[in-house]
Amino acid sequence: MLEAFEILTTSGVVLWSKAYAPVGAHVINSLINDVFIEEKVVPQNATAGGVSPAYKKEKYTLKWKRVKEFDLIFVAVYQSLLHLGWIDKLLENISTIFIDLYKDQVKGNRVRIQTYRFDQYFEQQVRELEDNTGGFVEEHVPETGEKKDPLVSSDNGGPPPPPVPGLVKAQPRAALAGATSDEGTPPATPEISRSSTPQGHLLTAKAGPGGRGSRRSRKAANSSANASSGDEVRKGKSAKTPVKKMRRWDASGMADEDDGEILDYSAPTEQGETAAPAVEAVSEDDWGRRTGKGQFVLKELGEEVQSILDQADAEKSKGTASSGVVGSGFNAIGGFFRNIVGGKVLTESDLEKPLKAMEDHLLKKNVAREAAVRLCEGVKREMIGKKTGNFQSTDAALHVAMESSLRKILTPTSSLDLLREINAVVAPTTKQQAPRPYVMSIVGVNGVGKSTNLSKICYFLLQNKYRVLIAACDTFRSGAVEQLRVHADRLKELSVRENAGDVEIYQKGYGKDAANVAKDAVDYAAANKFDVVLIDTAGRRHNDQRLMSSLEKFAKFANPDKIFMVGEALVGTDSVMQARNFNQAFGTGRNLDGFIISKCDTVGDMVGTLVSMVHATGIPIVFLGVGQHYGDLRGLSVPWAVSLLMK
Amino acid sequence: MSSQANWNSVTGIATLLFDGNLVAIAIAILFTFGVPIALHILFFQTVASPPSSNFLLLGPSGAGKTAFTTLLEAKSSLASNKSHSTHTSQQSTLVTVTLPPTVPTGSNRYRSVNDPSLKEAIRNPIKYRIKDTPGHGKLRASQGISELQTMSQSKDIKTRLRGVVFMVDTAALVDEATLRDTATYLHDVLLFLQKRAKNGSSSKRTTEVPVLVAANKQDLFTALPPGAVKQKLEAEIDRIRKSKTKGLLDASADTELEDEEEILGNDEQEAFSFKLLEHEVGVKVDVVGGAVKGDLQEEFGSGVRRWEEWVGMCL
Repeated sequence: MLEAFEILTTSGVVLWSKAYAPVGAHVINSLINDVFIEEKVVPQNATAGGVSPAYKKEKYTLKWKRVKEFDLIFVAVYQSLLHLGWIDKLLENISTIFIDLYKDQVKGNRVRIQTYRFDQYFEQQVRELEDNTGGFVEEHVPETGEKKDPLVSSDNGGPPPPPVPGLVKAQPRAALAGATSDEGTPPATPEISRSSTPQGHLLTAKAGPGGRGSRRSRKAANSSANASSGDEVRKGKSAKTPVKKMRRWDASGMADEDDGEILDYSAPTEQGETAAPAVEAVSEDDWGRRTGKGQFVLKELGEEVQSILDQADAEKSKGTASSGVVGSGFNAIGGFFRNIVGGKVLTESDLEKPLKAMEDHLLKKNVAREAAVRLCEGVKREMIGKKTGNFQSTDAALHVAMESSLRKILTPTSSLDLLREINAVVAPTTKQQAPRPYVMSIVGVNGVGKSTNLSKICYFLLQNKYRVLIAACDTFRSGAVEQLRVHADRLKELSVRENAGDVEIYQKGYGKDAANVAKDAVDYAAANKFDVVLIDTAGRRHNDQRLMSSLEKFAKFANPDKIFMVGEALVGTDSVMQARNFNQAFGTGRNLDGFIISKCDTVGDMVGTLVSMVHATGIPIVFLGVGQHYGDLRGLSVPWAVSLLMK
Repeated sequence: MSSQANWNSVTGIATLLFDGNLVAIAIAILFTFGVPIALHILFFQTVASPPSSNFLLLGPSGAGKTAFTTLLEAKSSLASNKSHSTHTSQQSTLVTVTLPPTVPTGSNRYRSVNDPSLKEAIRNPIKYRIKDTPGHGKLRASQGISELQTMSQSKDIKTRLRGVVFMVDTAALVDEATLRDTATYLHDVLLFLQKRAKNGSSSKRTTEVPVLVAANKQDLFTALPPGAVKQKLEAEIDRIRKSKTKGLLDASADTELEDEEEILGNDEQEAFSFKLLEHEVGVKVDVVGGAVKGDLQEEFGSGVRRWEEWVGMCL
């Protein structure tokens, strides 16, 4: 069952919502955060026709449809356990109806104050679609459809006669009352009429009073076989099986009077409306007057909704048809001028070429193909249907859009202030936390500059007067410990000269288990009142499962506050896989905390690796290595990176 | 009619116009009456729309910015008395809302108590515009700070910024991470305003943009009182200030020669406080409590009354 449905604007206001069960606001908020803003979750089949993308959060699955033109998002929430096939259709229909009904309001500036009386329309759609996909119903669709016409005519034959006492007795009073009030809601559309017959007990109950009405009218038409039909109805009411049986019978033989009546009983009003609206109108009116105003309104509603949907369909088909040969020549010329003057509504074909050029440009900047394609796709999705500004060419518009999406992808969700975090751990403000050393570890592929960047960070920390312990956990490659020792000695020398912090190296030689060494180092640091522990690890190939698997144990043992991965700016397409594999290597619940992109000085403006790495994982870039000296460590400046990439 | 009176020749047309022709009379009448009306519409409307006062709504995600905006909107429209529920915003919106007539405006102090325009205010409520921005970390730079930049620097009187409302979730501020995030954002905003004040004073006097720290969600049990919020934010900003001075340079710092990083509040020795900021730079910061949801009194939207008063004082 559907849990909730919401219609919201991109500015965050819920225009209309319907909740069948309480769903926390955080569910939809996380959808917005993860999918729309951070783009962490890339919708798989977003472009596939008719299928809305899905997003899973907690026990819910969310499907959404975004209408760019009006800045609206339609979200349906349902339990992941259920497979509701009709959600896509529902989103499609609801968005069409809503936009058609409230086109002017949504465009205007009073969008947010407006109250949208949309409940009826929604209820109608849900019921209709729910019924429509009721499993076994589908098979019988043609048969019931055939049957309809004769039934209807008999149905609307004349004024309803007084109810037969036996019939009324058959239906329990309570059920009847409940049904009449409900009755208002299932309005008549062809789909519902065709299939609603054997839905669950719920539906049968709802159809109850309708059945009564129809029976009456039918009786007026031919007053024979009254008693028998009454009996049939009673049976149908009490259990589902008789109804089913009746239907089968119906299919095999040709419309027996009795059979028709029974079918008629299950969903009479709906059938009447759709099949013969002209005749129906009279009886419906009649009926509506009896049961109350609601019914009458509902009938209109069903038709209205249907007409809206039909119209939309027609427009769609027209749209595809008209893009033929006739207008193409004129369009081409007009498009050419508009391209210069601006004010052109962009279509997919307009964007194809410039986007290809843009993609090539990004590839030249060393952005991995995967990331480039994704960026271009995102820009395309954003741009289609948009109007270019005055005197703005398509290329210029694209340029702006690409810049903003690059900026968006590179901007971290929360900026990292390393010093403040260290302070928070080393000297906590609250009493509950005991001070402990802040642990950072660095991982990466062989030869990307792990030890170098570690020393750079160390130098930076030393300047801020921290006591730093370097743990040499590369117990594998010969010379690794010695290399680190050289760094440590240099740094010690420097720190003494500059009157900065204090540095020491912790090493256990080669051949030991890195995770254990790291753990010991952290313990040692805690005992000796070090502020920060920097753990160097062995370089490993990201696609070597044997080496990568030891990282999980390492993360568990050393439990670092931050795990940074060093990536070369030189690496091209491989950066995506590197980032992804390292990000997954630490087991569930533990990810990388940031990237350090080394050797940025060697690539000039081809800093595409930045984008590729962030694209692959959604993890921000923390530092850039820009030279050979200890001081050549920089924070990421997004405008700088974007300007280099777009140059 | 003479034979010359036809539409074919120039002389013919001239003759027709000076004739007692009905068409000519109609055109003349239309012209004489139409032009003044057209001119009136053209000029009156551009002049008559008063310089609207803009306020910018900033703050981290989940503080209640959009909820506040919708509440104000619902309040200013007579029809609905219920504001919509809200979710995380992705785009900023500019809405025009009215100040309740009971809220005094800042310009009132120049008026006499018996000023008839005061009574007028009830019939003619003051309108102002408020811009709601998304507070998500990724969108802050592109939509929050840049919006602040364009609005505060625009010469156009229509888009000039009258004040910044910085929304804070007081119930979540107990959490260390949230506090850090909020303070960082506030620090950036204040730093920008400080820079602006400095640059402005050299060339020509620009009006200072006051900042209201709206301590939202006072209705919740876990909410900190405004005083504590102020204290916490000041302490955290002080910490940010310190670590900013020691932090790494940006990658862009190498390419462009920028003068040294500014420090918020100028004086590094003294601990940061909003008072110091006002004293040193002239950026006024007020911390006022309120609640968007959970009205304190029966009246609809009374929880934001004090913020509206602040807005009124800026007008």
